[in-house]
Amino acid sequence: MITLSVKDLKKRIGKKEIIKGIDIELYEGEVFGFLGPNGAGKTTTIRMLTGLIRPTSGSISICGYDLQTDFTKAMMHLGCIVENPELYPFLSGYDNLVHFARMIPGFRNERLREVIDLVGLSERIHDKVKTYSLGMRQRLGIAQALLGKPKVLILDEPTNGLDPAGIREMRQFIRELAKNEGLSVLVSSHLLSEIQLLCDRVAIISKGAVIQTDTVQALLSSQERMIWRVEPFQQAKEILGTFTEVQEAEDSLITEFDSDKAGLWSRELVNSGVRIIEMNRRLPALEDLFLELTGGDRIE
Amino acid sequence: MLILRKSLSIIITAISAVLLLVWLGGFVYAVQNNLNVKAGDIKDTSRNSKKSSVVNNEKDLKVVAIGDSLTRGMGDETGKGYIGYLTDEMKAKSDKPVIVQNLGISGQESDQLLAQVKTYSVTRQLKEADYILITIGGNDLFQGGQTLADFQPAAIKSIQKKYLRNLDAILSRVRSSNKEAVIFLVGLYNPFIELDNGKETSQVVREWNFNSAETAAKKPKTVFVPTFDLFELKVNDYLYSDHFHPNAKGYRLIAERVAALLTW
Amino acid sequence: MNNLIQNEMLKLLARKRLIVVGGILAILVVLFTYAQYQTVQTQLKKLGTTDWRTTLQQQIIDTQNRLANSRIPDDFKKELEVRVKQQQYYLDNDINPAEPGAPSFTKEFMENSIDLLLPLMIMVIASDLVSSEFSMGSIKLLLTRPVKRWKILLSKYITLLLAISLIIAMMGLVSYLISGVVFGYKGWTAPAFSGFRITEAGFDSSGASIIPQWQFILMDFGVVWFAAVVVGTLSFMVSVLIRSTAAGMGIILALLIAGAILSNMVSSWTSAKYFFMLNMRLTDYLNGSPPPIEGMTLSFSLLVLTVWWLLALVISFTVFTKKDIY
Repeated sequence: MITLSVKDLKKRIGKKEIIKGIDIELYEGEVFGFLGPNGAGKTTTIRMLTGLIRPTSGSISICGYDLQTDFTKAMMHLGCIVENPELYPFLSGYDNLVHFARMIPGFRNERLREVIDLVGLSERIHDKVKTYSLGMRQRLGIAQALLGKPKVLILDEPTNGLDPAGIREMRQFIRELAKNEGLSVLVSSHLLSEIQLLCDRVAIISKGAVIQTDTVQALLSSQERMIWRVEPFQQAKEILGTFTEVQEAEDSLITEFDSDKAGLWSRELVNSGVRIIEMNRRLPALEDLFLELTGGDRIE
Repeated sequence: MLILRKSLSIIITAISAVLLLVWLGGFVYAVQNNLNVKAGDIKDTSRNSKKSSVVNNEKDLKVVAIGDSLTRGMGDETGKGYIGYLTDEMKAKSDKPVIVQNLGISGQESDQLLAQVKTYSVTRQLKEADYILITIGGNDLFQGGQTLADFQPAAIKSIQKKYLRNLDAILSRVRSSNKEAVIFLVGLYNPFIELDNGKETSQVVREWNFNSAETAAKKPKTVFVPTFDLFELKVNDYLYSDHFHPNAKGYRLIAERVAALLTW
Repeated sequence: MNNLIQNEMLKLLARKRLIVVGGILAILVVLFTYAQYQTVQTQLKKLGTTDWRTTLQQQIIDTQNRLANSRIPDDFKKELEVRVKQQQYYLDNDINPAEPGAPSFTKEFMENSIDLLLPLMIMVIASDLVSSEFSMGSIKLLLTRPVKRWKILLSKYITLLLAISLIIAMMGLVSYLISGVVFGYKGWTAPAFSGFRITEAGFDSSGASIIPQWQFILMDFGVVWFAAVVVGTLSFMVSVLIRSTAAGMGIILALLIAGAILSNMVSSWTSAKYFFMLNMRLTDYLNGSPPPIEGMTLSFSLLVLTVWWLLALVISFTVFTKKDIY
């Protein structure tokens, strides 16, 4: 079931088109990565998805409700943290939750307990937020996002500023939410490693447009490579060149990976008297993929 | 604690809401009351007839001074005027506390003074007085020096006639306010005595004073205090730089003369 | 909506700004009470009597003497003339315009704080109401709820109105309680005049009526409230338009002070009467003091203030509902 659907979303500020047409669909129970370098338009897009910025054109619908025309109903099904969860530091965690719960029509008070237990803040919930650590604030942020039992959860850079243990914990927590509660979670990040570990599918955004959307697995496998360490080097290159495109690395040759043809190619090489020292199949990191797709757009 | 704080917030909100309505009501009331006033529609909804709360302390010596710039003390650098010096003297000689009300208004003419003594509050103060001091007529006669410069006897006659009528009314009015107090009417001097037509102007002032004294003499306990002679010889020593009002020395002379007449 | 207002109230109370405002007021009232007390003492010494009629009579005489001075400017002269007539009226009718007592002090305090002190206090609350959400970043949480933006802003505005009402009550109460220690708590039923009008011809008391002091004070508070609401709404608008609370406060402060300066010197620049700052002293119309610019009347000032108020409200709501939050 599609929970969030974005069609041809555009945003123009003045004459400059910042977002040049974004299409995304999120399914129930999946974690969707939204990947791009800083300044690619991630934040603007997320703010449009959460109703903070009005799109110039295009449509956003959450659980079938259009965000523009049916704001209230659409927002009932959306929970989000945009950038850092900036809760009121002068109120206690509990008061913060009460504050946001009051803004949800038909809110049942039992839900407060539920979300507090879910994020594991029961002990400190009556302390002022200004005494919280960043990790606790992040958890409280998630608690407020989950108050209204949303179908879609949008998290902007959820692991920003957390320590490694916190990151691991957060990652696990998000996966469980998707699996156990059937939420669609949209996670934006500029960290490839994080997306790789966390998401089922990923959209790569650069310069205001989505370049590619696919499962993480498919994206990676399309970019699998075969590494050949051979001797004599030049002869091998010529032979392989008759079958496929060959790139030269320091002491090896790189070709695409094709499980059907790899055997054939190696037999040809051996028959011609080329000695194969090592044949290696390599899954590229998203970093390489990204570089390739964006043509050099920087990423961390 | 938590529930307490929450209900506190609700209580404060409720109180604020009530206050909002009260102030809104006040505003509407104010607008109605001030935009739709019908002329001449004087309502008196709360006039709780207040009793005069003046303490009539017999131990006090009360002086009320009315009149023109001489009473006010114009020309005296210290600002005291003859009333000030007189008060000083009284305070030095008397062991009773002296209370002086100076109601003099610069530039006042006899008809204005008449209007002033008719007002309720002045009447009320006069009633309390032990001594009432009056200086009046200077502005009627001299009109800032204009009358004597033109020197038209007919015009002066009519001014004097009007003045004497006013003076009579003033003295009657003051007397009716206070049966007991001694009234001192301070006479005029001639500030122009050393000018070219000094003889003529002195003639006018003498006649003016004579008629004033006559009017005063008809009233009980009313004393005319001449000042003409004080300024007759060395007028410029006693006048302020405007050559019209007395200076500190001049005022002291007048004060001494009045003081000599006071008895207590 | 009730829930939203509760939310805003919760935040307002948690930040303790109201307590700060109350504290400032208390300190100032103590100061003013002392000043007033000193004034009374000085008068006592000078006149040797506490009778206000004598004092008032003396004031009238003094004013009349000042009027005789030809060097005072015309508009000031007119003001003095009006004052004399008014004081005379009080005197003739045996009404003490400054009936000593806490109610009178409170009334005077309100009348004197209507164009600067009170607006400043209101500003402290109003200019923070929206911009603080921006500067804290919590606006992103606030606007991603299933509640329309105009409702959120309306709840904030209603909270502002409630806070203004509360502050005015606080001001009244604080000044009544503190000044009462020195001047006594009585005087609610003393007669007061209302319905003075300053017309082209001068001071017109033909429509005047005598009402109990408390009714007059209620009217005073009513118009003070209205003026405060207008200033509050303007600060509120600035708060919507400008992210920085400090900058917003600076703007309103500058306007208010400019108003105070202008009202002392613009009697010949008549277009200045369309500024909201010059129309703040609504209490002056109630007690018959002359307006800063000739020809200004209560209905004129109310109209000007209403126009500013509406404008600020429309701008606030339009901008807030359309604004992109970055």
